[in-house]
Amino acid sequence: MDFRYTEEEEAFRREVQAFIKETVPPGWLGVDPGPEEESREDVYPLALKTWRRLGEKGWIGLTWPKAYGGQESPLWKEMILLQELSHHGVPGVDVSSAQADLVLTFGTEEQKKRFIPPITRGEVKWCIGMSEPDAGSDTFAVKLRAVEEKDCFVLNGQKIWSSGAHHAKYEVVYARTDPNNKHLGLSVFIVDLQSPGVTMRQIMQMTGLAPFCEVFFDNVRVPKENLLGEKNGGWAILLHAFGAERTYGLFVLYNAKRYLEQLVQFCRETHVNGEPLAKDPIIRNKLAQMAIEIEVGLNLGHELSWLAMQNQPTVKASSQIKVHGGGVAQRVANMGMQILGLYGQLSEDSKWVKIGGRMRHTYLGSVGFTLAGGTSEVSRGHIAGKAGLGLPKR
Amino acid sequence: MDFRFTPEEEAFRKEVKEFFGKELPPDWPGVDPDQYHEDAFDHIHEFSKALQKKFAAKGWLGLTWPKKYGGQEAPLWKQMILEEELTYRGTAGYDAYQFLGGCGDIVLEFGTEAQKEKYIPPMCRGEVKWATGMSEPNAGSDLASLQLKADLQGDYFVLNGQKTWQSAAHRADFAPVYCRTDPNLAKHRGISIVIVDYKTPGITMRRLTQMSGLDAFCEVFYDNVKIPKENLLGQLNGGWAVVMSALNHERTYGIQLIVNIKRDLDLLVQYCRETKVNGEPLAKNALLRNRLAEMAIQLEVARTLGYKVNSMVLKGQNPMATANQMKILGGIMTQRVAILGMQILGLYGQLGPVGGNWKQMDEKKDKWARLGGRMKHLYLTTVCNTIAAGTTEVARNGLATMGLGLPREPKPAAPAKK
Amino acid sequence: MDLSFSEEQEMLWKSARDFLASRCPKTVVRQMEEDEKGYVPELWKEMAGLGWLGLPFPERYGGGGFKFLDLAILLEEMGRACLPGPFISTVVLGGMPVAEWGTEEQKKEILPKVCEGKAIMTLALTEPSARYDAGSVKVKAVVDGGDYVISGTKLFVPDAHIADYIVVVARTAEKANPEEGITLFIMDGKSRGVSTFVLRTIAGDKQCELTMDKVRVPKGMVLGKVDKGWEMVKKVIEWGALAKTAEMVGGAQQVMEMTIQYAKDRVQFDRPIGSFQIIQHYLADMSIDVDSSRVSLHKAAWMLSEGIGCTKEVSVIKGWVSEAYRRVTAQAHQIHGAIGFTKDHDLELYYRRAKAGELFFGDADFHREIVAQQLGL
Repeated sequence: MDFRYTEEEEAFRREVQAFIKETVPPGWLGVDPGPEEESREDVYPLALKTWRRLGEKGWIGLTWPKAYGGQESPLWKEMILLQELSHHGVPGVDVSSAQADLVLTFGTEEQKKRFIPPITRGEVKWCIGMSEPDAGSDTFAVKLRAVEEKDCFVLNGQKIWSSGAHHAKYEVVYARTDPNNKHLGLSVFIVDLQSPGVTMRQIMQMTGLAPFCEVFFDNVRVPKENLLGEKNGGWAILLHAFGAERTYGLFVLYNAKRYLEQLVQFCRETHVNGEPLAKDPIIRNKLAQMAIEIEVGLNLGHELSWLAMQNQPTVKASSQIKVHGGGVAQRVANMGMQILGLYGQLSEDSKWVKIGGRMRHTYLGSVGFTLAGGTSEVSRGHIAGKAGLGLPKR
Repeated sequence: MDFRFTPEEEAFRKEVKEFFGKELPPDWPGVDPDQYHEDAFDHIHEFSKALQKKFAAKGWLGLTWPKKYGGQEAPLWKQMILEEELTYRGTAGYDAYQFLGGCGDIVLEFGTEAQKEKYIPPMCRGEVKWATGMSEPNAGSDLASLQLKADLQGDYFVLNGQKTWQSAAHRADFAPVYCRTDPNLAKHRGISIVIVDYKTPGITMRRLTQMSGLDAFCEVFYDNVKIPKENLLGQLNGGWAVVMSALNHERTYGIQLIVNIKRDLDLLVQYCRETKVNGEPLAKNALLRNRLAEMAIQLEVARTLGYKVNSMVLKGQNPMATANQMKILGGIMTQRVAILGMQILGLYGQLGPVGGNWKQMDEKKDKWARLGGRMKHLYLTTVCNTIAAGTTEVARNGLATMGLGLPREPKPAAPAKK
Repeated sequence: MDLSFSEEQEMLWKSARDFLASRCPKTVVRQMEEDEKGYVPELWKEMAGLGWLGLPFPERYGGGGFKFLDLAILLEEMGRACLPGPFISTVVLGGMPVAEWGTEEQKKEILPKVCEGKAIMTLALTEPSARYDAGSVKVKAVVDGGDYVISGTKLFVPDAHIADYIVVVARTAEKANPEEGITLFIMDGKSRGVSTFVLRTIAGDKQCELTMDKVRVPKGMVLGKVDKGWEMVKKVIEWGALAKTAEMVGGAQQVMEMTIQYAKDRVQFDRPIGSFQIIQHYLADMSIDVDSSRVSLHKAAWMLSEGIGCTKEVSVIKGWVSEAYRRVTAQAHQIHGAIGFTKDHDLELYYRRAKAGELFFGDADFHREIVAQQLGL
């Protein structure tokens, strides 16, 4: 057992840190991972720039086959990259890679050659078309219909909560090809969002940002070459997607680490009535508690990475870290708000604001961390079930 | 709206307080509503029996019961005040209000005239102790799965099977025992209650030791025990109605847990004021102040909610949703006080004799124990408070479905036959 | 002991609920978050007409002569409706101190206007240190002829930008004990030297920076006794905390009702999600937070109404609700899933207000310290 990183790994980490320093503006306070904050007008150009530059360095799809533009690097490299990007709150890291992973796993040679290289070059963004108004946690309740015709599939229906759809070129859409079989009647399509019949509506979140979309499909014709995997084989892709979703909880924890560091800094520098906040025993206790929870979560993350690198099943560990990470992030946000007291309420563009209003943002945004990408309740079910603790189903 | 008690009520409370001032030794450490100390320690049990006779002499047993059977027909508020005072002082003998009272209530509700005349007067005179026979190894939260058989053979029910987790069984004279009288009916429809005299041949008991070190529970075994059929309480196979009523009578248990644990919080506050560490009283430690105040707040809020239960009962409203809330709070908060107590005592919290502050301290082994080892006892025994008398999970289920109107979970399909 | 409302109180809450349901829909709530003033003048007039603005004040000044418990009942409904505007600022933070400690002249000048909806008030207590203790009061008031001259900055002052009268807490003497040497002044909000700036806050409520540049306040507008103001401030902190608590309890009740309904309506896996045990347990726990908060609120409000000292009870309930309301809204979000996370949905209004309420006039840690003192620690 050895918890250290190798020389090589540390060297790569330093390279990534240098990259980040060059990419983000000075005094960058960071944004939360994922498409949510990236969609902000003041952030999106940086996100695009970062995505391109990551592509130029060959850092998108590090572990993918060289034939499609990847580097065939070992998994640890990708882990370190993602750790550093989330820790520093760099925009531009999103779900596109996860969708590419599906194409690499289930796609034809032709599809891989067509879709993967532009992603690795940082030229296109993808999004997910899974949830519907009546299909949230119950993913198999998807109703969006895909009817097979001679030369294409025709899609009718709608998706919701598609993060970043308004910036994306392609959407991986889960559609119903067999209305008579709930679990075995789904197929997955790669839909060009410029197709005729596709319309979108951005949805405003309680954070004041609108990164989510409803995506409407009105007789959208999708070429048969864009069917991913087998017709009615969507269940296998879904399962793979859940299992491969290893990073969400981890992102959230590295992100929380940044908030903690900002708070510690704030407490050291801020005096109230002559005393630094950092000397207040109650604040010390709170900060320490947060540090402990984050550290423990990150260690769980190391285990997750290690399991992944050994090609061992990761559903249980990734579910655990998702549940833990979401909860930790919410507690960190709340404690941060408590430490800032009345100041925590101020928006980032308000006079008197502290730490750029980041605590307020994450206090609102972190509500979603136990919901998006699978709720904590569903994740706990995975942990308890046959992939984890082996408890019996009802 | 008025959160005060009337002068009459306050006068009664004063009378009760004076009584305890006289009857209890000045350093009485207090027993808990779970009555485990009385069950486990003979000397406390004897004291409890004697005290109960004194309650009886004051007419405080069966306060609200019909005078015909030896009760006082006093208003319910009188009983509430008595319970509150008993609980806060941790008076022994007040299991009267849990087990005895609960049993008496169901006899009065479901019993025949003959049964009422037979069983209630001795209860009012403080001459008897009762237990309750509900749980079995395979019937805990799922009480309806109970299996102890009661076969009607001629003039007798013949009982075979076992009960477990029986508080006070080894001290008791009688118990209503929940039996299966018809295995062919649906689970909860084939249950009957029979009143068992524990001296009946064929009954054996085995004491169980809890993690607190107290052997306060029993397993009770029934081997062809013949109980006269006159001892059937309520309808044959109508036991489920009695179950519901019995649960209803336990409604104050959560409140009692909260009232009782305040005594321990007060102890901790006192301890912090008197104890100095490196010259500084613990009471000046910012973190401890915060935590003690937080606990005091939680107990105060919970106690206030408890008044709502009583208020609803007095108005003839169904208090079960609030009673469930109190059960949940009682369990969780007593555990929190215990955890806090252990945190405050630090390493010292680990020390002390079984049962806590009852002065059976070993001069050597317990030399350094603080607060008589009360916190250690609490820490071990409160584990049970979210389980006994109905788990917190069951309470939440009841609160959600019956209290908030949420739909029940659909029953799973019957398990496949092996 | 009697935990029920009187008939009059029943009518008050019912009529308040109906009135606010129709006159304060969520569209208005959202508009006011963006609105400069933060309240609807027509609605304010109607509330004056209903006697709400004068509820706790003596009839001879135009008030209703009601007690704090009645005010709390009204505030619960306001919290339920997320009523925007300077109600607590005017009635509790400004009006009640004047009614309690004002001279006859001050009461005659100010209270009728408040009751008629013609004057808005507030209290300026916190400074950039953002604390509620006496040592944090540093803004100075100096005698100059027949006036006091006040200079300095107050921060997080609710509704200062629209206040006609601002009760300013200032230091008139430096003593060893910071609780001594504090005085309260009733400042005309339009005085020369007063400038206000509305901060952008999480709940969209109008908390302000108040800058006073040599503002003159006539000696006749000193509230209570010079240098002896802190005792009054402590009481106002109690009133403010309790009033906000009432609002929070009303909000929590609404959140719980919304969530129960959602759990019954939302179908996934072919059944209402409220039939899953974990959701049931979440809601069961939520009901404990809501119901326990309400009874304790009523107890403290009742004690205040009866003139029974309730310093401890107020800190108990504010300390409790500060966390309980937050828990309730967070749990409600978890149960609502993604839909609750959208701006469209009402839930986020409560989540943000829960945080603002937590901080208003002392968070949990602040009130725990008061309870600790009451425990004799």
